[in-house]
Amino acid sequence: MRPFQYLAPFPSFRYLAPKSVGELLDSLEVGGEGSVVIAGGTDLMMALKERTTTPDAVIDISRLGRELGGIRKGGGALRIGALTTFAEIEASQLVDRFAEALKTAAANVGTLQIRNLATIGGNLATASPAGDSAPPLIALGARVKILSRSGERTVPVESFFRGVKKNALLRGEVVAEVALPAREGVSSAWARGAVRNENALSTVSVAVSASIANGRFGESRVALGAVAPTPMLAEKSSKLMTEGDATAEKAEEVAALAAEEARPITDIRASAAYRKRLVFVLTRRLIAGLLSEAGAA
Amino acid sequence: MSGKVRARFKLNGEDVTAEMEPNQTLCDYLHDVAEKTGVKKGCDTGECGACTVLMDDKPVTSCLVLAPQVDGREVVTVEGLGTKSRPSPVQWAFVELDAVQCGYCIPGMIVTLSWILEHAPQASDSEVRRLMSGNLCRCTGYLQQVEAVRRAAKRAAAGGAPEPHDIY
Repeated sequence: MRPFQYLAPFPSFRYLAPKSVGELLDSLEVGGEGSVVIAGGTDLMMALKERTTTPDAVIDISRLGRELGGIRKGGGALRIGALTTFAEIEASQLVDRFAEALKTAAANVGTLQIRNLATIGGNLATASPAGDSAPPLIALGARVKILSRSGERTVPVESFFRGVKKNALLRGEVVAEVALPAREGVSSAWARGAVRNENALSTVSVAVSASIANGRFGESRVALGAVAPTPMLAEKSSKLMTEGDATAEKAEEVAALAAEEARPITDIRASAAYRKRLVFVLTRRLIAGLLSEAGAA
Repeated sequence: MSGKVRARFKLNGEDVTAEMEPNQTLCDYLHDVAEKTGVKKGCDTGECGACTVLMDDKPVTSCLVLAPQVDGREVVTVEGLGTKSRPSPVQWAFVELDAVQCGYCIPGMIVTLSWILEHAPQASDSEVRRLMSGNLCRCTGYLQQVEAVRRAAKRAAAGGAPEPHDIY
């Protein structure tokens, strides 16, 4: 990583503020390669300052909350608009009811000031390996709704990431919403390791979702952050847990497999070995928590 | 190819119409152009909170806001919270408790803590600390600051705002 260079103001660009999603899609269509979208700005502003992004045009969508914001339940899904901030997610009763892992993650992002700016759509679009919204969304089976002039498509969150800071958006496309199945009886939890409790990037994050009935796990998913080029679904661990015995022994097995599936690197925040160990410890702890919540262990 | 951008917004209660360069942070705009010098630039990376302002009544780090993003919004800086002769409850408590050393982090602290006082006056000390984790002080610590919001909250519960009080 290049050291931060203090350079201000940043290079000039055209500033566009479309007044509707229709106008936005037109701007994206014409803008092309040289344009970037700004929502909460917490990632893009740093990229502008560090000159890792030098756009011809910045398209400001931060005032399109009426069309691209808000949390609601519809069609059996919990729908979270792309412009929803982490502060709004943290405070939402719907999120608390159907996506507890996401609520916990949102409450731990950055600081109060960051949570008031940063949006869930922006967090996904940035596609950082350490993005905190991705593992809970993946664990909960969420899909990203993508809009463009030619229509709309959805992709599972785990398929939305294509590499470090690379997402699946094509020219002319924007993230509009994330939606996850709003099911009763599904519990989820999120935890991370970080150098501090507050104001820190996650060294490792883990999210788990499962239903527990009759001593067995129902459909279960384990998702990991900051241990691969992209946030990832731990497929083998999820499979092992699904339909498995709801026991502490199974939790240990799943956690060990999750640590095997993790593909971390050594960097300034932690060594690869420490990250694998964290995956094991956090996964085991989260599953144990779900078990005790269900009165199963 | 850049060109100025028009933004209409409220700044400390007053309507403002500004032609501004888009390629600057809200922090720089407020401090250098609007001359609200209580908005301090510390880290310029969104970590330290010295540039905290209220945008639509929410604390945000103004160094991570692109200046024209204020269009249509309401911004309050520390200057909008109180004055020397009429300090806000949190400002008053800061003075009484000497919750200041070098002072650079203080405007941002006051903005965040004033928001906490208004929206979470019952918050426990640990919740106050969690909510103020985006305001770093590198001189002293946080004991007096937490105590200040506690004292201001007690006063508010006991009988509303303090009397206007000349602090000098």
